[in-house]
This record gives sequence, C-alpha cells and structure tokens, in this order.
Amino acid sequence: MASGVDQAVGMGLVGFSLLLFIYYTLWVIVLPFVDSDHVIHGYFLPREYSVILPGIAALLLVLFVGMFIVVVMWKNRKPKKTQ
Amino acid sequence: MTKLAEWLSGLTLLGVLWAAVTFDLLGLDPPEAVLQVSRPLPVFLLVALGCFSLGTVGYRVATFNDCQPAAAELQAQIREAKTDLQSKGLRF
Repeated sequence: MASGVDQAVGMGLVGFSLLLFIYYTLWVIVLPFVDSDHVIHGYFLPREYSVILPGIAALLLVLFVGMFIVVVMWKNRKPKKTQ
Repeated sequence: MTKLAEWLSGLTLLGVLWAAVTFDLLGLDPPEAVLQVSRPLPVFLLVALGCFSLGTVGYRVATFNDCQPAAAELQAQIREAKTDLQSKGLRF
C-alpha cells in the first residue's frame, strides 16, 4: 500500500477534482435552467468567468511548463568539448 | 482508417453539431437556456477532462502498490553494483 503522505495527497487530489467538477458543472450546465431570482445564483460568479478563468488557468499552466523546461535546459547546459 | 483519422472525424462531427446548435446554422431557433449551455460547452468538456485526469492521477498515487522490502533490496543491489563496477575501473 502507498505510504500515509501519498494516500493523503492522492485522496486530496481526488476530492479537489471532484469538488471542482461539481461546482463547474452546476455553474455551466445547471444554472441556466434555474430562475434568475433563485438564491443559488449568489454563489456563482457571472457566466463570462466560467470561460475566462479556465483560459487564465491554461495560460498559467503553459507558462509554468515552459519555465520548467527553460530551467532544466539551462541547468544541463555543458561547455563545448575541445579536441 | 488510422486512429488519428478516427479521432479527427469524431471531433469534427461533434464540432459541427455544436456549431449548428450554438450559431443556429439550421434555423432551429433553440431556447436561450440551451444556447447558454451550448456556448461554453467545449471549455466545459476541457475542464471536465482536466478534472478527470487530476482525479485519476490522485487516485493512482493513493493506491500505488509500494513494495518496501523490494525497494530496500533494489537499493542494496545498486550499491553493490556500483562498488563492483568502480573496482573494475568504471568512473561514475
């Protein structure tokens, strides 16, 4: 069996992704069919953000991956060998 | 048909269906609520895929079958191999 910390982190990820999925599904799929004066609308941002926020997250992810590659390649540069 | 061609045809078909609903290309005049769901649908599916991937990774990390004795044995074998090779002249 995986160690304690591994299990905690793993299950934490599962829980987080589940919460995120449920919130996002409610926001995008369910809310348009709910009356606009219902209480639940107060718990969700305006609908534009349901596209903008994932867009920003994707941008940050690409930036992060790019920076990681730059850092790793920079660390591994070797001076040219002389004959 | 190659897998790539299969995936591309499937995606294209779904894309055409989505565009037909979202941009009202067939004169169907969908109700406003349907349009409000249909417009962000590609982003929604991407986010859903991301959540599924994250959850799967987390689940696999939590249920990984660690073998502590085997790991210790492997480390010992690596050390043994290193000293053996170094004695035979291999530089690390």
